[in-house]
Amino acid sequence: MSDLVDLDTPGVATPAITRLVRLMAAREALAAVFADARRRVAAYHGEAELEPWAKGVLALVDVNAGAGGLLAFWRASVELSPRLTPAELGETALGAAALCREAGSSATVAALAAFTQIEPRLAGAGERAIWWRALTALGRAAPDCVERVAGQAHRLVLPGHAADFEGFIEAGLKAAGRDRARQHAFFALEDRLALGLLARIGAGPGFDELEAGLKMVLTALWGATPNLQPLPPAGPDTPGRANIAGPAIRLPDVFPGVAGEASRRLYLAAAAHAGAHLFFGNPRFPIRKFKPVQMVLANLVEDARIELLAMRLYPGLRRLWVPYHVASPEDGPTTGALLARVARGLFDPSYSDPDALVGKAQALFAASLERIEDPLISLDVGTRLANDVGQRRIRFDGRGHVVEPAYRDDGLGLWDFGDIDPDVVAEIKMMVDAARIERHETEDGTADEEPTPEPAGRVRPKAAGEKGVVIATYPEWDAGAGVERPDWTSVRAALPVEGDTRPLQRALDRAAPVRARIARLVRAAKVGRAARLKRQAEGHDLDIDAAIEAAIARHAGEMPDMRVFRSTALLQRDLAVLVLVDVSQSTREKLTDGSNVLDVEKLAVAMLGEALEGLGDDFALLAFASAGRDDVRVTCVKGFDEPYGAPAMSRLAGLTSGLSTRLGAALRHAGAEMSRVRSFRKLILVLTDGEPSDIDVAAQDLVQDARRVVLQLRSQGIDTFGVTLDPGEVGSGPAIFGKTNAMPVRRLEDLPMRLSELYFRLARR
Amino acid sequence: MTLPGNKAVVGDAAGIADSPLSGRPFLPDGEGWSCTIAETPMLVAPDLAAYRIDAEPYYRPVGDEISVFEAAWKHRLPVMLKGPTGCGKTRFVEYMAWRLGRPLITVAAHEDMTAADLSGRFLLTPEGTVWHDGPLTLAVRHGAICYLDEIVEARQDTTVVIHPLTDARRMLPLEKRNELIPAHPDFQLVISYNPGYQSAVKDLKESTKQRFVAIDFDYPAPALEAEIVMREAGTDPALARTLVAIAACSRNLKGQGLDEGASTRMLIHAGRLAAGGVPLEAAVHAGIVLPITDDADVRQALGSAISACFA
Ligand SMILES: Nc1ncnc2c1ncn2[C@@H]1O[C@H](COP(=O)(O)OP(=O)(O)O)[C@@H](O)[C@H]1O
Ligand SMILES: [Mg+2]
Repeated sequence: MSDLVDLDTPGVATPAITRLVRLMAAREALAAVFADARRRVAAYHGEAELEPWAKGVLALVDVNAGAGGLLAFWRASVELSPRLTPAELGETALGAAALCREAGSSATVAALAAFTQIEPRLAGAGERAIWWRALTALGRAAPDCVERVAGQAHRLVLPGHAADFEGFIEAGLKAAGRDRARQHAFFALEDRLALGLLARIGAGPGFDELEAGLKMVLTALWGATPNLQPLPPAGPDTPGRANIAGPAIRLPDVFPGVAGEASRRLYLAAAAHAGAHLFFGNPRFPIRKFKPVQMVLANLVEDARIELLAMRLYPGLRRLWVPYHVASPEDGPTTGALLARVARGLFDPSYSDPDALVGKAQALFAASLERIEDPLISLDVGTRLANDVGQRRIRFDGRGHVVEPAYRDDGLGLWDFGDIDPDVVAEIKMMVDAARIERHETEDGTADEEPTPEPAGRVRPKAAGEKGVVIATYPEWDAGAGVERPDWTSVRAALPVEGDTRPLQRALDRAAPVRARIARLVRAAKVGRAARLKRQAEGHDLDIDAAIEAAIARHAGEMPDMRVFRSTALLQRDLAVLVLVDVSQSTREKLTDGSNVLDVEKLAVAMLGEALEGLGDDFALLAFASAGRDDVRVTCVKGFDEPYGAPAMSRLAGLTSGLSTRLGAALRHAGAEMSRVRSFRKLILVLTDGEPSDIDVAAQDLVQDARRVVLQLRSQGIDTFGVTLDPGEVGSGPAIFGKTNAMPVRRLEDLPMRLSELYFRLARR
Repeated sequence: MTLPGNKAVVGDAAGIADSPLSGRPFLPDGEGWSCTIAETPMLVAPDLAAYRIDAEPYYRPVGDEISVFEAAWKHRLPVMLKGPTGCGKTRFVEYMAWRLGRPLITVAAHEDMTAADLSGRFLLTPEGTVWHDGPLTLAVRHGAICYLDEIVEARQDTTVVIHPLTDARRMLPLEKRNELIPAHPDFQLVISYNPGYQSAVKDLKESTKQRFVAIDFDYPAPALEAEIVMREAGTDPALARTLVAIAACSRNLKGQGLDEGASTRMLIHAGRLAAGGVPLEAAVHAGIVLPITDDADVRQALGSAISACFA
């Protein structure tokens, strides 16, 4: 402030407006504009009120906002004066000054211009402050991105969602890091993540939040658990629509711009509609030579057909769908608008429209009502309507077409794109391509949720530095030599990887019936088993034997024992269990449904984890694999002293298959962990898909070693049980764990239930 | 059985096992006192008038259950009614008891039920101990149909007392009394069993299950169930159909959020509320949604499905 202070007598507070006037008088180029702005702001608020505003201008001067910055603020002041007080304008200038310090003058000019536009969307001082704070943070990390963001302000700042704007900027900075190119792409909204986040601004709850509820509603309505999947945004400005792909219903991640209760209703309407498609048969017409307009109209009729059938079963569905049928001739002359009116007319026979196409659609549909069960009427009626459209030369662009109303699916599920006629018209090709691209993109989008599968049959490459620290060494039984070799194996702590829990969560959701059974077991077990106590001093029932003895004693003149009641007491559970999961290479084996053995193991362990958590029993989860005696890797998924929650689940999800199975060493380690736990009963459950093996020893020797460990553990009071994935029951399970403690699982699908059942059986003893 | 000194042991299990059953009560007689065991105090009229069903209970047959039951009755075979709760099993037994003109003694099993709750126990009176027949014993002595509802709820050792009644012996040993009662010719045992609850913890022993003729019960088909709801709750046909559709939705959620779907009984409750003037949504909420689940998310999802059921 040095040059300003020089103008005044030190110590005497000169009003900012006086200082400003003096300062501006010296700046010829600005003087006239300043005078004009000051006059116009004063006209709104009165000359006497201008002090805070002038302070703001001085702050801008102070940060070298330059002539451009000052002019931009004055312009903003004049435009916003009807809405903001001089004090609020002053705040704005302070915010702009803070930004200017980080990002320079031209960024500030852009931000002030954008602020003027979006200010009406901001509620109060708090939200205005958010705007400046977020931009200042952006300016600090990526100054050259501020202008880009300011240019997109109308899309990023929505009424009531200013916080989302700040969240968007934070997310972008986090995702891009110091990578300039990524920063640019993100804040120019050219990046996938940015588009996804943009769609969420002012929208939601989205798919993730609503999935579980929708699944239940569809199950209740249509009697089968639906396969619901999220669909990432197709591109900027493309409204999301549901899509039916085979048995799967794919719903947009989020319906952009639809928030709160409206979002819940839209998802429900869309899910119920898609569910009706699947319930009343999805015929999948071979696409052959259909024109796009024909396809679109057939889709409209099919939509009306399945909705009519659905509403016969569930009349209340009308209430769900009717609010979206609001198309009217006022919507404009586009073909899309006309098609939306056809949709309305088909949905609501009482709707009448000036365009003959709507009336014709209604008439044809009404005439087909007696064949309503037959999906072919959709193709028939659609084709006849398409002819009319053709004769009237109504232009239709298949590529840019978006189905209306918003709850309807994109209609692609109705068609079989399998065998396209080679001389198909170019237009359809485009439409099909568009559909394919969209499919393709979404497949990419979901692919990165799961770890990219490595080529099967190859052991995970192992870098020397990747070996974890040795946490223990154990002896091993050398069956050939008949001696126990001390310190023969080294157990290393493998760093747990936090994985994406969503696939696991979905698998859990799909297994709801089994989980419910397990939950019942939990409840039953939790109630505790009542122990009947005889000869008690008090109780709810007479112990008749004791009563008679007491009577006899009294008559015999002896001192009767008055403990003549029976009571019950709940047995305390006091047990600890350690689950040891084999994650060796063989668990990578693929199953028919695309998952692999490890996935099923994870599901089984997750379900058991839920049960154990519910019971409050102490438990730990360890995973193991080995690459020679020097490198037995044990991953701690959950320790005894932490709860089974989201972190443990994500470590469970993060387990990957690879390497070999040195079971004995892993068991010794599990035993050592267990010996630290104080519990009356101690169990180790081993979940393995096959035989012990390793690269430097004969498998049979490892079987004998493991057997020895099991016996040693038993002598220490630790019971070891093996759940082996052993369809042929030919494995070494019984040889290792003993006949009664080996539980071969014949069908892999049964593993989750079996594992939990086994536990409950064991825990009851 | 010998008396050590002048102490008596009555009904000691081990004692019964190694002494021939006399069928007579054992009377210990220590000096100066007596443990009075009345020869079955007649607290209940032998014709079990209190247990007779006078008016025909409304029962709408859904399959061949009546003829199967009658055939079983002819041979006095024990019958197991399998099915979810509230689907008409109890009503069916009541109807059959009326139809066959037999008294019906019903026992609802529960977790803490012991064998004594079925067979009887000594009660202490100022005069000493008095034997009191339990409901099963009453039925066995006087020839009633004994209906053990939700038998799995009882502890497994409890259910063992019915074993000798359910094979060729048709006897009820009263260990405590050292008595062996041959069943009255008209005695029949009926149990109900909900396979939905079946679990490793609570299930009937295989040796118990295999003693019974089973009749499968399920919620009646929609048209039939609507007829029952109409009749029992006094609703109009449209309301009854709506309630049945709501039940179907909830039954789809069994195991996927709900432990059990809405039973016929629940529909009747909701129907009575609605027929009595409570708005349908409120009646369904109070009669079905609230009792069936405590989970807010499940409630909301069920609510959405339910609101699809009525216009
Ligand atoms: N077939 C049927 N005929 C008549 N009423 C029935 C029938 N099925 C169910 N109900 C009605 O349902 C109610 C519940 O049935 P109930 O026999 O108590 O069930 P459960 O014994 O199977 O738990 C009965 O009170 C009765 O009103
Ligand atoms: Mg559709």
